[in-house]
This record gives sequence, C-alpha cells and structure tokens, in this order.
Amino acid sequence: MSDESKPASGDSAGLLNGHVTHCDPKTRRVNEAARSLHPSAVKDLLSLGVCERCILRLITVATFDSDLATVSSSTLRGWLGSGVEEAASPETSICIVCLGILQFVFSDDKQTLVKMKSDCGSGHAAWITDLVKQQGHEFDSFGLEVSLPSTISENERAVFDEAWLQSEKVSVKDALKVLVLDPLRASLGAKSDSSSFHIRLTYSKASDDAQGVSETTHERKKRKTDVVYADEENGSSCISENPFEKVYEPCILSVHCNQMPIFFSGRYFKYSRNVSQSRWIIDDERMGEASVEEIIGGSILPACLGDSYKFHAAGREDIDVRMLGSGRPFLIEVQNSRKCPSQQSLTEIEEKINNSEKKLVGVKDLKFIGSECWAMMREGEAEKQKQYAALVWISRPLEEEDCNSISSMIELKTPIRVLHRRSPLERERTIHWMKLEKIKGNTHYFLLHLCTQAGTYIKEFVHGDLGRTTPSMGSILGCRAEIIQLDVTDVKMGDS
Amino acid sequence: MEIQKTEVAKNPETDDTIETTKQNQSEEEVEHCDEQKQEEDELRSVLLSDIGDLPLTPPSATQVNFVSYFITDFTKPGHDQYIYRHANGLCVIGLAPTHIAFKDEGGITNIDFNVGKSDRSVLKVSGKRKKNAMRSESNTALCKVSTAKDSYIVRCCVKGSLLEVNERLIKQPQLLNSSADREGYIAIIMPTRPADWTKNKESLITLEEYKAKKEVSL
Repeated sequence: MSDESKPASGDSAGLLNGHVTHCDPKTRRVNEAARSLHPSAVKDLLSLGVCERCILRLITVATFDSDLATVSSSTLRGWLGSGVEEAASPETSICIVCLGILQFVFSDDKQTLVKMKSDCGSGHAAWITDLVKQQGHEFDSFGLEVSLPSTISENERAVFDEAWLQSEKVSVKDALKVLVLDPLRASLGAKSDSSSFHIRLTYSKASDDAQGVSETTHERKKRKTDVVYADEENGSSCISENPFEKVYEPCILSVHCNQMPIFFSGRYFKYSRNVSQSRWIIDDERMGEASVEEIIGGSILPACLGDSYKFHAAGREDIDVRMLGSGRPFLIEVQNSRKCPSQQSLTEIEEKINNSEKKLVGVKDLKFIGSECWAMMREGEAEKQKQYAALVWISRPLEEEDCNSISSMIELKTPIRVLHRRSPLERERTIHWMKLEKIKGNTHYFLLHLCTQAGTYIKEFVHGDLGRTTPSMGSILGCRAEIIQLDVTDVKMGDS
Repeated sequence: MEIQKTEVAKNPETDDTIETTKQNQSEEEVEHCDEQKQEEDELRSVLLSDIGDLPLTPPSATQVNFVSYFITDFTKPGHDQYIYRHANGLCVIGLAPTHIAFKDEGGITNIDFNVGKSDRSVLKVSGKRKKNAMRSESNTALCKVSTAKDSYIVRCCVKGSLLEVNERLIKQPQLLNSSADREGYIAIIMPTRPADWTKNKESLITLEEYKAKKEVSL
C-alpha cells in the first residue's frame, strides 16, 4: 500500500511528493506508468469526471494488463499524483467515459446499486461467479463476452481528440476483460478459452425516465446525430447535448450464461399409424395421437436441463406410414443444456421409451455425438435407398406372370397432395427392385416390397396419381391399383 | 392369415446371397442365414399385423383423399362437371359421367386447349409461388371437347390459378370416355383465397345431391 501524496496544486514538476513504500514488481510498473503522466492533464481529466482507470488506459503508453487488476482505484489516484480538491469525493462520482464500468459500480437487475467493497477485479469476479452458479451450468471452461452501451465510444470521442484515439488504445471492453478474467478464472475454477460455454456480461444504460422505460434504439440513433463532438484542442463546439454532464446513474449489469447446442443421435421406429413425425397442430387441434419428436425430445430435454430442443431426421414419413426395419437416423439438438447426461442415463431413456405402455415409438443406439453429426446425416443422401412394403389391391386377380417384376425408371410429376406447397416439376426416380408377395387366400391383395431412390412417392407410384406418375403399379399390371397401407422397412445410410 | 411366399423377382441382392450361403456353409453362416430368415419372418408378421378384414373393393385413392363436388348444367344444359377438392385446397376438374358429350355416339374424339385468348396446354407454371399461372374465373373456358356430332366448352368452375392441364388427353382423348374421373381429369386449379372457395362452393352440390338429381332426371 502506498501513501497518498499531499495535494500540490500548481505543482508542475511532475514528481510525487509522497513516497512509495511497497515494492511489488507488478504494481511497481503500474506505479511508474502512472507517475510518468503529465500531472496537469491528469488533473484536468479528473476534474472533468474521468476515472483513474480510464485515464490510465487512454493516456499511458504502457500496456494495460492484468497487473492492474489488483490495484484499487484509490491507490491509482494517489499514484497519478494530482489532488483534486474541488471535485466530489471519488466514491460517488461515476466516470463520464466508462459510466462506472471500470470502477466496478453498477446496478443489478433489480436496479439496486452495487459497489464492490474491494475495488478491484476479484470482488467483481466474485459477484459474477454467484450469478453464474445460480444458472446451474456444469462446465470446465468458459468464454467471456462483454456487451457495452454504444454511448461509451461517443463519450471517449467527446473527451479526447479523434486522432489520439485512433492510435492503439485499450478499449473499455478489453480493459474490463483484463481486469476481471484472471480473478474469474480463479473463482469459477475453470479455464478460459473459446469454448462452447459463454458467459455474457451485458451493461445497459440506465434510463433517465422515472418509470424505467428504456429508450429505443431508434431514439438513441436520432440523439447521436444531434450531438456534434466537441474538440477540446481548438475549443470549437456546438454541442446541443452536453457529454460532460454528470452521470448520476450507473449501468445495469446482467449476467447471462449460454451453452452451445449439444447433439444426440440414434435411430427411431414408428409403430403406430396415428403418430406424426413432428408436432403437427392445425387450428389449435393436434393431428394424430402424438409425435416422434415430442416423445424422444421430451425425454431427453429434462435429462439435459436444457431450454429447448430441435428434432432433425434423415427424411420423413407420413403419419399413417410405419417406420420398421433398422429405423430412421435422427438428431436431437438441445439448446442451452445445463449438464450433459451420461451414456448410462441415455440408455435408461432409450429403455423407458421402448418399454412404454403404448408402444408408439422405439429408439435404438441413442448416444451423444459431436460436430460430426451433420456429416453423418448428409452421408449418402443422394444415393440413399429406401425399402418399403406396401399392401396393394388390384382390380383383377393376381396371376403368376405378374410376379416377374423389373427395376425401372419412373417419371413422376409433383404429386397432387404436395402440389400446393412445392414446385410443379417432373422428376425421374429409380425403383431399384420390386417383389410381389402373394397373400394366401386372397387374389386381389398382395404385399409389394420395393427398394427405391430417395424422394420417390410410393403411394403415388401405386395408384398412379390420376395418371401423373408413369409407370405405376396400375399401368404395369394393366388394371386399377390402390394402396391400403405402407411401411418403411429400411433406410440405408452410407455406412449400413 | 398364412402367407405364401412367391419370390420370383429379379432381386440381385437377396437372391444371390441366399444362393451362395447355401453352397459354402460354415456353421456361422448357417446361423446368420437362419437369423436373417427369422428377422424376415418377424418383419412379415409385423407388416400384416394390423390389416384386419380386407374389403372386396377398397375405397379408391380419389375417394379417400378428395371431397367430391359437382356442378350441373353449367352455363348450358347437360354440361355437368365434377370438382374434386383435396384437403390441401387444390381442385381437380373434369367431366361428370352425365355430361352431354358422352351421350353422342362414339364418345369424345378430340380435345382442344386452345380456347379463349391462349392455349392452356402450353402454360409453364414454375416455383412454389406458382408463377405464370393463368388466373381463372369460374366461367373461364378451359378447353373444347368434340364428338362426331358437336363440340362443347368445358369451363373452370373454380376461381383461382390454373396449375396444370392434362396434356395426355391431347394424344389420348379416349381417356375421357374410359375414365373421366381418374386419368381423364382435365385440369388442376388452386383457389387463390379461402374466401374465393367458400363463395364458389355455394353453387356446387355434393355427391349425394348429384346422384339424387340425376336419378330423377334420367
């Protein structure tokens, strides 16, 4: 701790009267930097209402770095060497440039003034740590983001010459990070890097309005154009607003944590003909009994303590089509998860869905997956082959010759049932193979097994879609054909 | 329900694998082959598990997916047409079975889409927003069908955008005689606003009403 210097008004020698007793090498550097400043310039700035840390970061040529974090602003003031008699006591005056941010003075969410007792980085870090812990995230590394009111750069320009500011100066954002990062790392017990977990400190200007209605961005922009920046050097100014007004209210600080989305992959089965793939609601009424998305996502979300989830699947099927065989690959994306469930709990979730009473949906291979998930979904997309089994009726009895089937190219126009929302196009699709399986005791019904290229509308292939899909089952067999039910029996991805 | 399997398909995948495994059989492969067969059997029973009773003639795709409406004596006596409306709002237009053209001997021999100001069969509608579609009112002419005796104008009956006409009819006009209600459809129209359809609907009658009306007049 250093002694406070006696105020020496009019002293222009540039040397301290007081003496420095400590000899911590880190802070000594800061001390020297502070003492090297021109005292009358410092005095002017202090009397304007600029805080010590702002002065140091904007005038000094030395690097503003983490050494500064441990130095309180009252100590700093002493080192800067000029006493200011007429200004209000340092405790209550909020810096007109950084609006109290670098003085660790701010209001919390409830508009209560918060002032750190220990006026250095560690106190601030402790306060932030409390708020972070409240949000409940599990993490071992974090990235710090800071968001500041835009008026700060205006304030800087009002007080300092534009040219001076252009050369490398430490911004308020960087200064804050420097002051707070090391203590934060220590109190959170985590590394800091560009990780997937972000802590965002948002400072916003407190409003002047008693009702607390904050100014819209539009109004703020309008106000900005009204202010002409004062140039201190040549004294010309036609300011309609005075940036040197005393700042009475500090900024409001809110701390928000966000985890980047995490992904889970697996394959799902759909055993019901009344379950849609994704949530389907028309006019407040749900279509179908449930949805695959909600059944799977709704089980994983609570295990992650996340905010919300998104469901992505490799293709889709109609509500009345079952998904059997090896299942369809899917991804669940969870936003802002607080914790990552273990493989054990994922297996338990899988079992719970598979053993549920209603047996609407099944899941297999549920596991956590990293950023390679999108590549997995896109794998073999163009070559994806799908296998189906359809129950088909024809208007004439099935004969032996009919069972010789061929692989063929079919040309289909956009089916009427999706024409309202898709482009009218003619598409060529390949049917890789077809197999007709008789049903004993019935000559008009049979099981049609087929393997097709991705994007083939099976229902339209069977009934012909009023002749817009050629060839169709009807045209191949020379009669009318209808599809009774359809099941997906396999979705081949590149690896399977 | 027992199933008789008749695999006479040219399916390169499964046919070949089954044959080769039969030839070079080690214990493992036999097991695998059995497993596969078991899986297939299981799959088959699942596929047929919820059929229930199979009706002799199931409802057609048109009956399942569309609601049928009719309009009779539209602008002229005997000009009866159907409008099949899909759940998504699209309307398929065609000649109803009682249309006067079918009464002429030999049925319909020709169809011409070049009526009114443009040839309906050359329009190219593109994109999701259905650009370049012709806007139609309910009495806009769609095409002209001709028989040995006379020719008759077919109109849109629905206000909206004309998405598609059935060009196959140009080369195969007999489709109109054999299956006017399926492959012989004439056009697909998308009503532009729900309000337009509600207004249109007032002049249409349902299938039941149509049957009753035509029974009486016949």
